[in-house]
This record gives sequence, structure tokens and C-alpha cells, in this order.
Amino acid sequence: MTVSLKHDDEVVTASSLVSIHYHDVIIIGGGLTGLRVAIQVSDAGLDGAVLSKVHPLRSHSVAAQGGMNASLGNVPGEDGTTDSWEMHAYDTVKGSDYLADQDAVELMCREATSTVYELEHMGTVWSRLENGKIAQRPFGGAGFPRTCYAADRTGHNALHTLYEQVLDRGIPTYEEFFVTSLVKDNGRCIGCTAIEIMTGNVHGFLSKAVLLATGGFGRIFNRSTNALINTGDGHAIALDAGVPLKDMEFVQFHPTTLYGTNILMSEGARGEGGILLNSKGERFMEHYAPKSMDLAPRDVVARSIEQEIKEGRGHEEGYVNLDLTHLGEDRIMERLPGIRQIAMDFAGVDPIKDPVPVQPGQHYSMGGIDVDIHGATLLPGLYAAGECSCISVHGANRLGGNSLLETVVFGRLVADKIIEENNKLATQNIEPIKIAVHEVESKIEEILERKGAENFFKVKDDMSKSMFNNFGIYRDDQSMHEGLNEIKKLQRTLSNLSPNNKNRAVNQTLIQFLELEGMLKIAEVVAYGAIARRESRGSHTRTDHPDRDDNRFLKHTIAFLKDGNINITYKPVKLGMFKPKERVY
Amino acid sequence: MKLKLYRYHDGMTEPRYDTFELEPSSGLTVLGALFQFQQKFDDSIAFHYSCRGAVCGTCAMLINKVPRLACRTQVAALLNDELHIPLSPYPAIEETVDWNPEEDVLVEPLPHLPVIRDLIVDMNKFFDFYKYIEPVFKPSDPAPKKERLMDSSSVPELELYTNCILCAACFGSCPINGSDLQYLGPAALAKLYRFYIDPRESDDNSRLKRADEPRGWWDCDFHGNCRRVCPKEVPPLIAIAKAREQLNLEREK
Repeated sequence: MTVSLKHDDEVVTASSLVSIHYHDVIIIGGGLTGLRVAIQVSDAGLDGAVLSKVHPLRSHSVAAQGGMNASLGNVPGEDGTTDSWEMHAYDTVKGSDYLADQDAVELMCREATSTVYELEHMGTVWSRLENGKIAQRPFGGAGFPRTCYAADRTGHNALHTLYEQVLDRGIPTYEEFFVTSLVKDNGRCIGCTAIEIMTGNVHGFLSKAVLLATGGFGRIFNRSTNALINTGDGHAIALDAGVPLKDMEFVQFHPTTLYGTNILMSEGARGEGGILLNSKGERFMEHYAPKSMDLAPRDVVARSIEQEIKEGRGHEEGYVNLDLTHLGEDRIMERLPGIRQIAMDFAGVDPIKDPVPVQPGQHYSMGGIDVDIHGATLLPGLYAAGECSCISVHGANRLGGNSLLETVVFGRLVADKIIEENNKLATQNIEPIKIAVHEVESKIEEILERKGAENFFKVKDDMSKSMFNNFGIYRDDQSMHEGLNEIKKLQRTLSNLSPNNKNRAVNQTLIQFLELEGMLKIAEVVAYGAIARRESRGSHTRTDHPDRDDNRFLKHTIAFLKDGNINITYKPVKLGMFKPKERVY
Repeated sequence: MKLKLYRYHDGMTEPRYDTFELEPSSGLTVLGALFQFQQKFDDSIAFHYSCRGAVCGTCAMLINKVPRLACRTQVAALLNDELHIPLSPYPAIEETVDWNPEEDVLVEPLPHLPVIRDLIVDMNKFFDFYKYIEPVFKPSDPAPKKERLMDSSSVPELELYTNCILCAACFGSCPINGSDLQYLGPAALAKLYRFYIDPRESDDNSRLKRADEPRGWWDCDFHGNCRRVCPKEVPPLIAIAKAREQLNLEREK
């Protein structure tokens, strides 16, 4: 039976109060990707709504510092050459250690310049050159000064711009709604369920299409630059719905995170001329990447720092120094004011006067929900874009400045696909949504009734420590198996625990508990993928298999849940303009 | 060192204060202290958090009687009185409970907004005022093929205002927001000024007119608390003074 609902009707069922909302498109996540999709959907005359577990402006996109890559060519290359999308694509594919799908890379790089202009046209304040054009700076692994920036607050400026556009269009946003499941009917995704955090009520959402834009899962690692909210919720509900995840073992460790809190110190700091020094004051990158030095790609620099520290040339507490002092006060204040403030607030160091203590920390999830070039998952009606997805533009290692780009480019393009499909579909059946809401209600009741006395926060600590120790920058078979066993043990432990707080309204502990359930599943997927990939490629570095093995592993890892178990298969990489060769920087 | 926390939820006749002995650790922030409380004492405590790096603006609260971001506020520095911010007095920061600023971290919800539970306030009013000033770019010309050119020297002044993270610390620190419930407040006015000075918009005063009313530019008494508590050093007073100057000039014409 199909119940036709007008916009945002509240349906009251007989048994209990259940709010079911209808929108043409449900967008889960209010960061750059989610908001860009919402704008596009609205401009096409469709009714889209954004669901986010935080206010959209608190999304992790806001923390992006360094910039957005596009071959505008506003700043000439070293020998006066001009940048091109092909050069951008080449750097991206080489940076990915040839694991990126080259059709997706080509699309992103072709669309990059119009995307930067589009944000400018919406009002984003970019830093400017003397001639009034958008400023660009060098970034790691890039052959040109290609990274457009807004000082070191590029994500903040872009997110506020898109939020302004969303407000202007009157697009509905469900703020502080935690999504609990995807709902399927006849092999199609027809909506989702979500807990309204402030009331504890479970809502149902019926739609013709659902888009996941939930960001990364960095918080499964204890040393992470990510916001505390980056718990991979979208990955977990997709996995539960039988949707495959791709290349999840490829986790980026950013070389320069602030010692102590692991807050990001932008790659822009090195783009502006900052250098890395070990405890002897040596510029050690000259041994590891003689040509690119401090601006080698992130995987290379992170490994180099880790090696310096392991071999006793780091500072005792486990860090090296990022020295900006030679840049001078004016340049730091103009180009890097945000990270100066962060270093002062969180490490008590003023980069104008003293070097900043840094160490590598988890930063980005290259892998994600497996999607095709249109952002469609294997489940009809379900799409994903941005960091939570793996369309595979980053492969085994992402270049700095390409993630902001991905969010906005694919936000727009995937929305176009959704719009095209949406117009062909009839309204879906509401009954499965009602059933799903009741299932979530029962699950919450079951969790809150458990008698487990142990504090579940310890499970989170143990998981994130184990993940960093066993699936960090350097990996090997033995420690990864130990890590996997630990994850499975923690899953069993958690299944007996419960928050002490039994309230339904504003129960943030319950939300953290549900996040943690999902994180443990994601951790398991990362573990299986990493153990099975017996090679070193990009961010995945195995001391027991130190070389890249194109014969056996130039392919994407595909992980899916079947009968409660993680299954691993593979699918081919889409090669194109660039043939795999050795990566030298 | 002790954490003294404001607790309130529906059904309580008045708020209570919980006291909790903190485990000191290097770099402990007030946000870190709240997580300690949640994990070791009472997991029903409600507070907002996200980035933990002072960029997302979600954790503004009243800390030792000053609106601050919990994630940015170091407990040790606070107790050593290194973070002193002198404020022009207003009712919401008057004494509510006994506390010793050398030993206690007193955490209360951000003033001038209704409390939902514990440290979570309802931000709707703040965002309604923000929406009222029409915070969306209105270019004076149709979009060119590439970027609009912009004098690089105009960027620093714009950045003063685009840096706002909408945390509402200023709103909770403004004596006028406490007494006049309709006053748009420092953040909304600073945001309006950001669009007014954007060289890509029209150079007339139409933007300023939006807040040319008692609840807008004219309500400010220049206490200056907003600038003192702003974690991003946004200067609403400059915006307000310059807006008044422009509007007065136009009237004299």
C-alpha cells in the first residue's frame, strides 16, 4: 500500500507516536558535500532535506585548512609553465599510487576550476593575488602551485558560504538527528530512520533517494586530526544494509599534527616554506625525498617522520619540529593565522618564535562506501559522496587539497544523477519505514535494559589505541592479527554493556554507544582489508611486504557483510591516461 | 582542582550544581574535563561538542563567569588566572553559587538563551537573528566566466568578519542581549557588515538599512564584551560604529 504524503506530513500511527517525514531526497550529513547536494536538488525544483547529527556548521568540513586544488593557472609553475587539468590528474593518480580510478580522477580535475569559481560566485572569500585573482600555493605531491585557499580557513569559508545558500533557499534541515538505519523495500533504498537527539524520539524518513555524506571514520584511531563526531556512521549503516565498502585499509596519516592533541597543522605550512627538523636540527626530508623534500606526498612524509622517531632522531616524547620561524611574522599572520592560534592555544607555542612539535596522526579515509562514477551504490536509491564514499579519486593516498575539491565537485555531479533518476520514480511504500522505526525502538530498549556493569567508554579507548598500534603507519601480519582479535573481543564485550543513562531525551551517551557499535564494525573491515593486502601501496605500508605488487594487488578491495561475517573480494582498477610506474619524489 | 557543573532538565524546580574532583593531566581543557565527568561520574551530563580544536563553534559556555569555548580553555591556565578577561558587568554573570576561582572550574550554560538540558542551550533565537540579516551573498553584477577580481588589500578587513564561527559567545556576553530580547546582537551585526563591505556587492547602503532600527545598529552601548570574549577576535564594535557613521552621513545629506 502506498500512502501519499505531502511535504513533511507527520503521520500518527495507532500504536504510538511515530513521525514519518516525506522528502524527494534525504541527504544524510550537513558538511560540504551534503550542503552542495542540497543546493543542487533544490535548484532542480525537488524537495530535499538535510539530516545531520550536529548543526551543519559544526560539521568537520569546517576544520579543513589548506585549500582546494584546481588548475586555474593563476600562479605560473617553476619555469613559467601553465598548469592544466591533465597535470592535476597526473599528480593525483601518481599520488594515489595508481589505485585511483582514472575516469573519476579525470572528471574531478576537469570540473575543478568551475567548482572553485562556483564557490567564488556564491560569495566565498578566497585569498587573492596582487592582480585580484584567486591565490594559489604549492602543496604536497603537486607539480604546480595549484591549491586555492582562504588563508588557512578554507573549509570554514566554504562551509559558511554553502550554509548561507542553503538558508537562502529555505531547505529543511533536521539538526541533531542521528541516523540509525537505511530502509529497504523490494531491493531499493526508500529512506532511513533517525533518533532526534533532543527528544529521543525515533523518526522515519521516506524518500525516492537517500544520499550518504557522513564524512570519515577517523575516530576509530586514537591519534586523529578528525572532529570527535567523525565516527563513520554512514559506513556502518551502509554495511548493515548489505552495501559494500571499498579500499577501507587505506587510511591517511597526516605528517604534521600537533603533539598532544593531534590537531591538524596544515600542509599549507610547508607549502608556504615551513620545514621539518629532527632532534639534531637536521632537515631529514632530504634523505627521503631529495627532490620534493618537505612537500613530498603525505604518506611519504609521515613514514619519514615515523622512521626518524623510531631510530631515535625524534624528540623523546615522540615528535619532530615543524619550523616556520624563518617565514617571519607578516607571512605567518597573513597566510597561516589559524594554525598559529591553534599552536598557541593547544601547545603553548608561538610559531613566529618557536618551532611547533608535530607527529603523524590519522587524518583521512581514502576508502569508503563503494560507488560508481555517478555516486550510486549497489543498492538502488542509495548514493554516497564525499569522504564517506569511495568513487576512488584518492586511491591509496590522497593529495592535500583534493578532498575539499571532491566534496563540492561530486556533491554537484551526484546530485545531478539523483535528480535525473528522481523524476522517473513514484512515491515509495511507507509501511517498511514504520516497521523500521519500531525495530530501532526495540533495539534501543534492549540496549538500555542490559545489566552490564563495566564502563563502555573503556571499549572505545581500547579500540582506538589498538587500531593506531596495529593498523597505523607501519603494519605487519602478526600485529594486525592481534589487532583483529582485539576488535572481535571488544565487539563481544560491547554487546553486553549499556549506558548508565537510561533517559531517552538528550541521551548523548546512548548516541556514543551506537556510534561505537558502528566503529567496531568499521575497524573490523579495515583489519580484514589490511591483512589481505600483502603489499605496500600508498598509505598501506607493510614491513613484511615492503613492495608494491601490481600483479596481485592493482585492484580495489571490496568488503561486505554476509550472514554477519565480513567477506572480502576485489574488483579491477580503471586505468587510463597514466600507466603505473614507480613513484619517486 | 574541581569541576562545578550546572545541571538542569525538565521537571527540576531549579538547577543544581554537581562537584567533581578532576584528574589533572597535561593539556586538560574544560571540554576534556566534561568528558572526564561524563565517563567517570555521571554519563547523563549534556553538552555540545564537535571539532575540539576551536573552529566549529559548538561548545561556547559560561566558564568561570566568562563565555568561552570549552575546547579552547585550558584548565591549568584558567586556575592560574592566565586567561583573565575583564567584562562589563551584567546580571547573567552575577554570583549563582559559591566557587573559588583558584581551585574550581565553574561551568554554566551560555547566558541569554533558554536551557534545554545542563549545558545545552537552544540556539534558535541566535540563528533567527542571524537569518534576519539575510546572510547570503548578493553580487552587484552577473557572475563572470571566471572569478570576480577582488583587490587583495580588501581581503584582510573582510576576513576580520568572515572569521566568525557563530559560537554565540558574544551573544552570551552582551549586556544588551540580556536586557533587550529583540536586540540582534554582535554576531548578526558583524555578519551583516561583512556583506556590506564585500567589494563584490553594490556599494550603496542598502545592506545597512536592514538593521537600521532600534534592535539593530542603534541598540549597542559599546560595552565591548563581545570583542573580549570572541575566540576569533571578530570586532563587532568597529562594524557597529562604522555602520552608524555611514547611516548618519546619509541622513545629513
